[in-house]
Amino acid sequence: MSGDEINPAAVAQAVEDVQGDDRWMSQHTRFVQECKDAEPEVLFIGDSMVQLMQQYEIWRELFSPLHALNFGIGGDTTCNVLWRLQNGELDNIRPKVRFNWASTGPEREKSTAQGNSFVPVMHFIQIRTPNQYLIGPLQVTVVWVGTNNHEHSAEQVAGGILAIAQLLTSRLPKTKVVVLGLLARGDGPNPLREKNAAVNGFLRSWLPRLGQAQFLDVGAGFVHSDGTISTRDMFDFLHLTAAGYRAIAKPLSDLLLQILDETPEEKRASLV
Amino acid sequence: MSSEDSNPAATPTPGVDTQGDGRWMSLHNHFVSNSKDKEPDVLFVGDSLVQLLYQFEVWQDLFSPLHALNFGVGGDATQHVLWRLSNGELGHISPKVVVLWVGTNNHGHTAEQICGGIMAIVQLIKDKLPKAYTLVLGVLPRGKMPNPLRERNAQVNKLVQEAVSSLPHASLLNVDPGFVHSDGSISHQDLYDYLHLTPQGYQAVCQPLHAHLKGLLEKQAEN
Repeated sequence: MSGDEINPAAVAQAVEDVQGDDRWMSQHTRFVQECKDAEPEVLFIGDSMVQLMQQYEIWRELFSPLHALNFGIGGDTTCNVLWRLQNGELDNIRPKVRFNWASTGPEREKSTAQGNSFVPVMHFIQIRTPNQYLIGPLQVTVVWVGTNNHEHSAEQVAGGILAIAQLLTSRLPKTKVVVLGLLARGDGPNPLREKNAAVNGFLRSWLPRLGQAQFLDVGAGFVHSDGTISTRDMFDFLHLTAAGYRAIAKPLSDLLLQILDETPEEKRASLV
Repeated sequence: MSSEDSNPAATPTPGVDTQGDGRWMSLHNHFVSNSKDKEPDVLFVGDSLVQLLYQFEVWQDLFSPLHALNFGVGGDATQHVLWRLSNGELGHISPKVVVLWVGTNNHGHTAEQICGGIMAIVQLIKDKLPKAYTLVLGVLPRGKMPNPLRERNAQVNKLVQEAVSSLPHASLLNVDPGFVHSDGSISHQDLYDYLHLTPQGYQAVCQPLHAHLKGLLEKQAEN
């Protein structure tokens, strides 16, 4: 990114209610509340590509079992996702307290998402056998956004996505971030395909510099040799069908399982 | 009712490509060419509520067996559907029943204008398919809590109901199974973003719709 110019795609911005039924804010408010009860291990955040996934069977099959929450809102840009993350959607994600029984009594290890909340020990004293842990904190966030940033250049969009990844890694230092590449769109070749591919190019080189973040391209195979996209994969040449989601869910769920298995400290022990 | 010229909701208008990938026109062309070798008994046409219906199992279970085609386009308002049906989408097919579900995206239009738009579509279908029956589905409530769009949509339904009551070839079916709870709220389990239906929401809407459609088709067969 050049100099000190502000990247408009990295400026947090709420969606204004122009239609008259305030649905964007209603969804945001619901997500803020959902985190309080759900204790997710995986959090998906983004636009309709994320939101619609939850309506298909594939979500129940592959992602519900991973204790995933879905914070997708149709139409969202990077600016909107940034606003949501800064205005409550991460606030209730708290790691669970972990106990190690040592010979001198319980030692309490605690880390918090925000580093500044105090949890009294009394609330967490339970009889348990050594080496048993509560189900762990948020381990991965999946970010999928950028295709709706129509006012911004590819470099700006990538910068907006990077800003989201940076926000997540600073707020949740122990949580990995997976950024999904933008898919091709439109019936035949068009400028938005080039733009989305350029965004992906920037992300491929920028994301590895954030230690906890990685890029995953799930777009392979959607554009046929004649340059067309089939409505069997994207019913309106943008949004995925059940078959389209099935194709992208496999590499994504493989990666998530790998990440979840890798974390040595939080085992998926059963609750006492 | 105001004439076509003064009602934007009843003036055929193609979708505008503001994004840069021409998807609206691609979809329209896809529907036109897709209809060339099909002989549907039922045509569903409208906005995203129609379009999304095709993506879920409920379509395979209930409507494929009725030989139905789906010409839904997300974001469409009445004037867009009017344009599509005037420009080829009815060119190659003769369905017995057309299921029309549109109106919720007519932002900036009054309930009267939206009703005018819907009735213009009903008239167009009658002109192009003289033997077809048009089943207009009531526009659903939207938004988490009471809001002006709910009132607008309810008023549209009331006006359309009155307008079709004298027509032998059209009727309005209210497909809202009671999405609004006693506290005025709509659940995201039924409308995941307080506008679009979940598979569960579609089930509640489609069971009675399917039964009604079957009845209509049987009646059409007798004629």
